Amino acid sequence: MKMLTRSFGLAALALGLGSDSFAINWTANFKEGAPNIQSISQLAFGPDGILFVADSKAAAVVAIDTGDTKASPGAPIKVEGINQKLAALLGTSADQIQIGDLAVNPISHKAYLAVLRGRGPTAAPVLVRVDASSQLEVVALDKAKFSRAELADAPMDKMVGEGNRQSNPRMESITDVAYLDDKVIVAGLSNEEFSSTLRTIPFPFKTVEKGASVEIYHGAHGRYETRAPIRTFVPFKVGNEPQLLAAYTCTPLVQLPIKDLTPGAKAKGKTVAELGNMNRPIDMIVYQKDGKDYLLLANSARGLMKISTDKIEETESISAPVTGGGKKGLTYETIESAKGIEQLATFDANNALVIRKTDSGQNLEALALP
Amino acid sequence: MLGVSAAEIEIRWGKNVEVSGVGLGALEVLQRTNWSRSQWQQLLSVHAEQGNLLTDLNMPAILGSYGVESNQVRFAPQFPFEPGVNYRAVFRPENIPGGGGKPISSTFQWPLTRTQATTRVAAVYPAADVLPENILKFYIQFSASMSGGRIYEHIHLRDASGKAVQLPFLEIDEELWNRDMTRLTLFLDPGRIKRGVRPLEEVGPSLEPGKSYTLTVTRDWRDANGLPLTADFVKKFAVAAADRESPDPAKWKVEAPRSKKTIPVRVDFKEALDHAIAQRALRVIDPSGFAVAGAVELDPTDHQWSFTPDQPWKQGAYQILVPTIIEDLAGNNIGKPFDVDLMRGPQLMTNSMVKIPFTVR
Repeated sequence: MKMLTRSFGLAALALGLGSDSFAINWTANFKEGAPNIQSISQLAFGPDGILFVADSKAAAVVAIDTGDTKASPGAPIKVEGINQKLAALLGTSADQIQIGDLAVNPISHKAYLAVLRGRGPTAAPVLVRVDASSQLEVVALDKAKFSRAELADAPMDKMVGEGNRQSNPRMESITDVAYLDDKVIVAGLSNEEFSSTLRTIPFPFKTVEKGASVEIYHGAHGRYETRAPIRTFVPFKVGNEPQLLAAYTCTPLVQLPIKDLTPGAKAKGKTVAELGNMNRPIDMIVYQKDGKDYLLLANSARGLMKISTDKIEETESISAPVTGGGKKGLTYETIESAKGIEQLATFDANNALVIRKTDSGQNLEALALP
Repeated sequence: MLGVSAAEIEIRWGKNVEVSGVGLGALEVLQRTNWSRSQWQQLLSVHAEQGNLLTDLNMPAILGSYGVESNQVRFAPQFPFEPGVNYRAVFRPENIPGGGGKPISSTFQWPLTRTQATTRVAAVYPAADVLPENILKFYIQFSASMSGGRIYEHIHLRDASGKAVQLPFLEIDEELWNRDMTRLTLFLDPGRIKRGVRPLEEVGPSLEPGKSYTLTVTRDWRDANGLPLTADFVKKFAVAAADRESPDPAKWKVEAPRSKKTIPVRVDFKEALDHAIAQRALRVIDPSGFAVAGAVELDPTDHQWSFTPDQPWKQGAYQILVPTIIEDLAGNNIGKPFDVDLMRGPQLMTNSMVKIPFTVR
């Protein structure tokens, strides 16, 4: 789950002002009914309790008005064996439960889980809410206020079906979704071409909003250049400049200015850190502590990586090889105690909420921001 | 008391759970209630057992809707009952307003619909037994729908001595399946292929030229029905030098149909191309500029493409449209190698089409 709370939003809450003061009706063009969600993977919160749900099978992002807009600081959520509890609630066995993502509503501080009930092609998408008392509740997806953005087909897709009789097995998996400054940012990875599409879709969605895609490249050694699918990313601001911190499938961590992500463009990220060998990024969030900016990154090889992003602007792109275990680019420390983190979401100023894998199952629990 | 007799109460399992013998008086009371779900659950709770009595005590009841229909209390689960899962229903007549009596419970398990393994790996692409060092992906084609979620446990790459190659694949949570989960796309870790990135420089490539390897898919991988595969699947292959050359349509050999009958036009790529993209991406355009409907076939090694039209050819000039996104086995596009060496300064082509003409006489 990726969300950067705009600072004026926080200020408004602190002053006791409602969001009405800004008088933007985000849901004016929402419809009521069944959004026909076929699959559920990535989640991100937008304004006013609006949740963006990525549906890879339908190639769409669905904005759902959760109606969950009562401000509350929340309370530390803890659900041990959440996979088993979800299985009990949904009437199946724990091995048939897949948790695709975790997001926290920044207004109510309730947690939302993207759950698949089943492991085959007919797995049912389920959205589950967990409140401060750690109670699980299924959010109805058959009756909802929603708005959809259909993702533009890949360049080749429009030709299929005209001449070629067989069905098209090409799909694009949505690997991450985020909301920043009235835009939904969606990263996708094709199951055929080695390419990544990154789309920025203005919100509220237009009738049929086709996000224009950007080709992402990776430059190495100032010599080689390759297409570089993005695996996970988080939006953040350097000064007033909206940026993405993104992890490529080939492991560098890069910085990309959002203004470069214009339709049809070819964008190249600036390599700001190397995540190391035999490691894959899983999820990341940004936060502030003692006035400094950090990135927290869950990964497969070691504990959480805490990366200071304060000096990101001055960081030179890593263009020469980083060898011998030497560090270049942004520095990081490893929080060894935080192992087994499968999902990571911002909870409040001091805590993250995580799904942690244990010997007996998965736990939903708070993690103090290091 | 409403005269609820435990002796007459019966819990029946089907698509729903139905409780009969509750007594008309009690049913009337229940029909008039405006209970919340948790109140109904006090009366009738249905559970999916998680295999541990202690933890089961703290587990929520199954989600569903309640009502009184045809003189029975009915629970309809929100999701269907699954074969192989133990279900337990408990009916507590003491929670009927004015009612009483001991709880009655019943357990049930739907039998598995199939018990015999039938699903197998139908093919792995590329089918060739010599592959370039920088091969970018495999497609694993199954004979039926599979289950996802833990796929990398079932896929192994070993060298000739049987030693596992460490983390050779791009492992991502969003496993790259097709819609019906019969085909998995397995990317080799691009960090071990791309020149100028740390994993390649420190750990080296996953595959080395001159050596041979086996790709194994183990039979303990479950299909969509929860059954294992019929057998392990093993693909042996040798590794040749890296392919850093773009596919070049100028070198392809086109064989135009010799008559207007519904016989194929053929293209020989002179190398193996990506199975899925070659199958999908080429288009035949007729002399009036319309796409021709027909069937595509690739030879077993993905070197040769043929297209048989549904209707007889017309006399005139046709074109085969080849999108430049088409890839060879190493992910090189037309006009754009996988990793571009900027020192060599190639002319990058944008995503577009290459047109290959042929004439039907």
